[in-house]
Amino acid sequence: MSKHEFQLFINGHSPNSIEAVDTLLKICKENLNDNYNLEIIDIQKDPDKAEKAGIIAIPTLIRMYPEPVNRIIGALNVRSRVLAGLGIPSMYS
Amino acid sequence: MNLQKLETGNTSFDHISHGGLPLGRTTLVAGSSGSAKTLFGAQFLAMGIQLFDQPGVFVTFEEQIDDIRRNLKSFNWDIDTWEKEGKWVFVDAAPKEENIIAVGDFDLSAFRIRLERAVQKSKAQRVVIDSIGSIFMQFHEEMHAIRRELIQVALTLSRLGATSIITAERLEEYGRITRFGVEEFLTDNVVILRNVLQNEKRRRTIEILKFRGSNHEKGENPFTINPEKAIVIIPLSAMSLKHASLNERVTSGIPALDKMIDGGFYKGSINLISGAIGAGKTLLVANFINGIRQNKERCLLMAFEESSEQLYRNAANWGIDFKQLEEEGLLKVLCVYPEISSLEDHFINIQELVKTFKPDRIAIDSLSALSRTSSDKGFREFIIAFTSYLKHLEITGMFTSNTPLLAGGTSDTEGNISPITDSIILLRYVEMNGEMQRSIAVLKMRGSKHDFSIRKFSISDEGAEIGSHFAGISGIMTGNPMLIKHK
Repeated sequence: MSKHEFQLFINGHSPNSIEAVDTLLKICKENLNDNYNLEIIDIQKDPDKAEKAGIIAIPTLIRMYPEPVNRIIGALNVRSRVLAGLGIPSMYS
Repeated sequence: MNLQKLETGNTSFDHISHGGLPLGRTTLVAGSSGSAKTLFGAQFLAMGIQLFDQPGVFVTFEEQIDDIRRNLKSFNWDIDTWEKEGKWVFVDAAPKEENIIAVGDFDLSAFRIRLERAVQKSKAQRVVIDSIGSIFMQFHEEMHAIRRELIQVALTLSRLGATSIITAERLEEYGRITRFGVEEFLTDNVVILRNVLQNEKRRRTIEILKFRGSNHEKGENPFTINPEKAIVIIPLSAMSLKHASLNERVTSGIPALDKMIDGGFYKGSINLISGAIGAGKTLLVANFINGIRQNKERCLLMAFEESSEQLYRNAANWGIDFKQLEEEGLLKVLCVYPEISSLEDHFINIQELVKTFKPDRIAIDSLSALSRTSSDKGFREFIIAFTSYLKHLEITGMFTSNTPLLAGGTSDTEGNISPITDSIILLRYVEMNGEMQRSIAVLKMRGSKHDFSIRKFSISDEGAEIGSHFAGISGIMTGNPMLIKHK
């Protein structure tokens, strides 16, 4: 199984940002067996990256790999929907 | 009561808005698809850079930046260079190819931060957001969140102090202001662009619905998209009827006609010649043009019916040398098919010509041909705008109009124009004793006495000849001339 690659754009410590980071880390650990690359980008510190990726909403999660690239916006608080959106089976084996 | 305005640089808009857009505020520009919202915004930025050296930020929520660059290239705006110089900054918020889903609550802080950075970095004084409706389409399941977030965006804009335009979609030309109710939080300043299909003809108009705390022209004003000047508005209401009435007279070119109207047309007056085909309208126009010799005036002739060869030949047959007048620089003849462009474009062309040629007289032969290119309403507006423009410049005008019937009656064209004209001259056929004769009569001559008789009018090698009046005949104007028997 090849590695999943993610970019997560957040805004400092906003509640939505914190929730999104938490959920994503849980998914990575429990569903991907730590087989992933995750870059967390704070738009306050690195606005150029947000500019380049054309980010509008916070939080925005981009699945870079496997392709096709897709985006999920929001606090990611419904885990089953996030998994579906990322194309990850909920029981990873 | 008056708030400060920022001159946009689009002279016609600055005119109807009494000075431009509200300074440091946001104006909502709403319009259906294809109503030139994007162009309106882009022109605002381009004029700012070109005329006032004011940098601008263009945010796109809808079109891809490359498409916008390409579409605007035709207007000779050097956006590429401006981008390099940091005067024009794009913020790309257009939909990405990737699939987007929403899970949970979000905000648009990334967008706000990017907007703020772009404005601060370029020291932008103008901002355009095009178009806000598309963000609802991008996140269509999250209407409430988007609405809440857009209020934040509006607040950010007002904090930044730039004069901005937000464009928004509307579904109907006459209905609620915008599709997603954006006007609920962008209420202060609203401009509406329309693109109405009327009698198979497109008619574009702009209306300033409100500028809170400031004056502006009310109602719809037609506009056109000019290949060089982009959006050009034809102001109707802004042209008031406060023209100075001039007492000076100019010759009609026919001494006998001058006598009928008590000494010639008033300078700066609008004069209508009405008649059936072949009744002598173009002859009167040729004489009107020839009349410029007397005082070395200049005349512009817009011919919508005949080619210049035909015109020159006909005039020569009447002893009038157009060629010579043209060589002396006193006459400019423009022969065009009315259908080649819209009425608004014709108006702009004429304005350009007037600016360079500076004529004292303008002749249009015929107005009826010109009226074919537009709806009735559009034509009426054109006439109002055009005549007040001529009066403003004190240009004497002669327009011809075709009547459908040989002997009597009036045309729709005349119905539209006659209240605005200063004089109306009728050319009618009179059927008498198995013969067609021509007649001439002055129906109206504002501010002057005139001859009330219906006179014989004939066309010979020497040109126009006006004879005695038709004595003892009645019913010429209704097309049923009858001899009145004296008892």
